[in-house]
Amino acid sequence: MKSRSEINVLSILTLAILWEVAGRMIDSMLIPPLSKIGAAWWKLLLSGKLLANLSLSLWTLAAGFFLAVFIGIMIGVLMGRFRGVEHFLDLYVNALMSAPSTAFVPVLILWFGLGVESRIAVVFQFAVFVIIINTMTGVKQVDGTFVEMARSFGAKEREVFFKILLPAALPAIMAGVRLGMGRAVKGMVTAEMLLTLTGVGGMIMQFGSAFATDSLFAVILTILIVAMITMKLVQKIDHRLTGWKVEIAIE
Amino acid sequence: MVEIEGVSKSFRKTVNDGTSEVKALSDVNLSIRANEFLSIIGPSGCGKTTLLKIIDGLIPFDGGQILIDGKKVTAPGPDRAVVFQTFALLPWRTVLANVEFSLELRQVPKEQRIATARDYLRSVGLADFENHYPHELSGGMQQRAGLARALAVNPTILLMDEPFGSVDAQTRQLLQEELLELWQRERKTVIFITHSMDEAVYLSDRVAVMTPRPGRVAEILEVPLPRPRSAGEVRRDPRFAELTNYIWHSLKKGMENGR
Repeated sequence: MKSRSEINVLSILTLAILWEVAGRMIDSMLIPPLSKIGAAWWKLLLSGKLLANLSLSLWTLAAGFFLAVFIGIMIGVLMGRFRGVEHFLDLYVNALMSAPSTAFVPVLILWFGLGVESRIAVVFQFAVFVIIINTMTGVKQVDGTFVEMARSFGAKEREVFFKILLPAALPAIMAGVRLGMGRAVKGMVTAEMLLTLTGVGGMIMQFGSAFATDSLFAVILTILIVAMITMKLVQKIDHRLTGWKVEIAIE
Repeated sequence: MVEIEGVSKSFRKTVNDGTSEVKALSDVNLSIRANEFLSIIGPSGCGKTTLLKIIDGLIPFDGGQILIDGKKVTAPGPDRAVVFQTFALLPWRTVLANVEFSLELRQVPKEQRIATARDYLRSVGLADFENHYPHELSGGMQQRAGLARALAVNPTILLMDEPFGSVDAQTRQLLQEELLELWQRERKTVIFITHSMDEAVYLSDRVAVMTPRPGRVAEILEVPLPRPRSAGEVRRDPRFAELTNYIWHSLKKGMENGR
């Protein structure tokens, strides 16, 4: 049995080879061979266009995502802690969580215009609800004896919150943050494709309509890699923060 | 001195769509002397854990009052500390940090906190495990940490809620002996909830026997066995068998009356 990362590499190599062979055999601009995509990618990189657009995109992503994490955790904790807040909000949160986020993009354009604020709002709206729901669930599932223990030793509401509820709910909160990250990347690309054509999403639209498939795939692959890296980053942070939970799970 | 005077407690219970009142405690009267080791024994569901929580000030009650040295109990206070049946150790904190927790809530400065926590970890035999996480320890060791956490705040009254109920028999015996040694040294008032007759007699100065729901104190027994008690000797004492037998009959009578 090979290790996981070895199989991962094998999987990527297999796909790459299949793609290259298929691309050469079919010989159509619809499926450019990987080597051509690589060349296009290199050209985009050298021209500085890719990095400029990517940094623009990532800035939007970071702003919307952090906003979603901050506000999502805040609302989620309140909903998990106070039944009144939960019952007041859960209708909307659940509806917005399962509704197609794209449907709200035109509304956000109306509210925030066509600038960067609108793109940040889209990223936020894509990511926030899954963070709220996971945080709420996490807080609700905290073992009641921990709260009782803390109170017994004289903890005030604020201490119960910071020393018990938040750390105990952290694994669930981080699961929400992880899912939120994935949705945030989707939001970023969607915003750039539907609003002003900027960033990597804008490049996709531009190359797509110009039938520049090699460049198109180069950008798509870049986005996939970015999505994977951001995901890994969040996972790293998750493990750092909730290592105690992971150890329990392995046992 | 702890005085429990006419304490009653009902819970509202919701089953399907009907709510009903369940009377957990009915007119409980009991007074515990300073530095005494008193056990409360009773069948499951007699409300003994509820009574302990009421003494700790964790939950409100319907009637009567609890006085500690003449002062009414309304909330948890620094004079009391609880050892929980399920240990209630925080899984994201090391053993040391768990013991520190009780001191942290009392605003003890960091260095002093660590020093005190280490002292108590040593006295329960966990000095070498301070950097372990709770799940890395056996049940017995986890409860030792729970005991250290309670002792660290230096309470005058130790409230123990079936503390050895979830460890195996040998560990239980060991923990009982250690607890007696600690109590001999520290001389705290201990209110000890248990459903083991053997444990109650071995540890206590007096044993309060409770009836099934609604819980009341049926009778209070003196345990005249000399101290310090060694586990082996005590159990060979004919009075030990007599006492456990007496408690058994008292419990049985309560359960038959309740049927």
